[in-house]
Amino acid sequence: MSSLFERSAETLDRSRSGDAFGPTPGAEPEPEPTALAAIALDDDDARRWLAGAQRPDGSFGLTAGPVENDAPTGLAALALPPGDERERALDHLVATPARTLPSDPVVPHDPNVPGWGWALGTAGWVEPTARALLTFRRLRPGATTQIDGAVGFLADRECVGGGWNFGNRSVYYVDLPPFGQTTAAGLIGLHGLVSGYGLVLRGVDALRRLWPLERGPLTLAMSLAAFRLLDLADAEDLEHALEPTLDAPPMDVISLAWIALASGPGLSELAVTG
Amino acid sequence: MTPMDRRTFLRRAGIVAAGSAAVGLGAGAAIPGLLHRFHRPWDDDAFAPPGRPKVLVARAASYDVDLESIVEVGLAEVGGSLAGRSVLLKPNLVEYDPGTVINTDPRLVAATVLAVRRLGASAVLVAEGPGHRRDTPFVVSASGLGERLAEVGARFVDLNLAPVTRVPLHSRFTDLGELWLPAPVVEADVVISMPKMKTHHWAGATLSMKNCFGCMPGRIYGWPKNVLHWAGLQEAIIDVASAVRPELQIVDGIVGMEGNGPIDGTPVQAGVLVFGTDPVATDSTAALVMGLDPAGIWHVSEAGRFLGQADPEQIVQVGEDPERSMTSFDVLPVFQDLTLGSNASDAAHAGLGDANA
Repeated sequence: MSSLFERSAETLDRSRSGDAFGPTPGAEPEPEPTALAAIALDDDDARRWLAGAQRPDGSFGLTAGPVENDAPTGLAALALPPGDERERALDHLVATPARTLPSDPVVPHDPNVPGWGWALGTAGWVEPTARALLTFRRLRPGATTQIDGAVGFLADRECVGGGWNFGNRSVYYVDLPPFGQTTAAGLIGLHGLVSGYGLVLRGVDALRRLWPLERGPLTLAMSLAAFRLLDLADAEDLEHALEPTLDAPPMDVISLAWIALASGPGLSELAVTG
Repeated sequence: MTPMDRRTFLRRAGIVAAGSAAVGLGAGAAIPGLLHRFHRPWDDDAFAPPGRPKVLVARAASYDVDLESIVEVGLAEVGGSLAGRSVLLKPNLVEYDPGTVINTDPRLVAATVLAVRRLGASAVLVAEGPGHRRDTPFVVSASGLGERLAEVGARFVDLNLAPVTRVPLHSRFTDLGELWLPAPVVEADVVISMPKMKTHHWAGATLSMKNCFGCMPGRIYGWPKNVLHWAGLQEAIIDVASAVRPELQIVDGIVGMEGNGPIDGTPVQAGVLVFGTDPVATDSTAALVMGLDPAGIWHVSEAGRFLGQADPEQIVQVGEDPERSMTSFDVLPVFQDLTLGSNASDAAHAGLGDANA
């Protein structure tokens, strides 16, 4: 077990709010950091809190008036044990792909592959779609329509040369560059998937270029997770790059949980083959 | 009616009954004159009449001049009152790209920290919720803001992760009804909106009102904050600005962005800072400095009906003449009519055109 995992897990454990985790240490618990921490720490208290936070429609997330952010649903499903709660979360994901707009030369996209959004009734974006892809592949591999749709979305939104930004390949005839963190998110969703091989190859190439330039804790942690899931030697360099981030001022819980997840045994809970 | 301070307003907002039914309009929707006059999607008693706000355009040739003094004088001249009050500076830090000038320059942010302290602020923090990237520490560090804030001993808060507070809306250009704002924004006595002076490929220009989008937490509204786009971009600009209510504005036009802004445009040396106490008046003036017709920027024009002063005759210019400070910013063809001197712009000025078209 790596010292990076031991240190990050200890710090993560200290940042809890009761049984669960907020976005910053000690903050009101929320589904996304709790789901990540539950997986990273194999924490049953966090799982129990999570099960209690499920909404009637099976989703997990924050509600703000008419806005229902349901983006943590896939992560929560991955964190929950087999059972009714997990199945209802998966059913929610199946039932709620993103909204689409007609294709537009100014923001080119394929309206036949909606992906998944951050909030209900909005457009699809790379990170929530990659999460949904990973969740279906691990927990409901028979959902081939959804899996193929998510891969199609990531292919449609791939940046020129490989990798992903938040989800716009080009705007007003200008190609937008990929980002490290969202490229890592795409690779986590696609790792080991034969039909995504080309996307993964180009994404790895992009991420190798990006992470040394984008040394934020979330970018490095998710890059480590991606490289470990892909069984690439770059993971060792990333572990070294991440060590000093734990000495910096208090880190947000989502980044911290990703470090513990990427460097520890919890990562096996995200692994998929074939 | 006595205007409330913004903190009192935001707190009381929680116990004020919601007004009439929500009405959503498409951006730039043309509403025939009479109907438009009676369509007033805001609570009159929540917004004080704008009066005659002061705006100051100051020359600043580069980021290496004495920005601290320029900001101190600028804020004082427009009537900014900071003594004993907590201040939150909200720069634009939507994402980072080393090749261009997307963000409010960190040197200006640091100088403003020092200036507001000189003006007697009891506390100052810098806060932003980047709209395109989740890894905020990376954006803060790579942009140079982190280093500048360390030099002046100022704290940065990631608004994407801060605790949130429900704030009912008193304008209803969208059907959102309420917004969930970060507690640091709600609790600050004074929010200073510090946008970069940029053109915007959907809204024409992005200035102090649009900059308030960065107050909306991504963990609710997404990365990008797509909920606000589906609600109607220009309508959401008005509703968000009417909830955040930045009491002061400093527009960074020392180097702005023209063309395909707000991300992929071209740097343009405009050499100005624009200060104000009314976001509508400030944005109207900044648009003029960019060579754009403020009456043609839908959200500025509509906000001028209740949120602030858009009538140039009622805006008191206490600095450089905006028209003499003008640097004509290129816009995308779709916004060509905004350019002062274009036929449509001249017609709108003469009262012959529909500025909302």
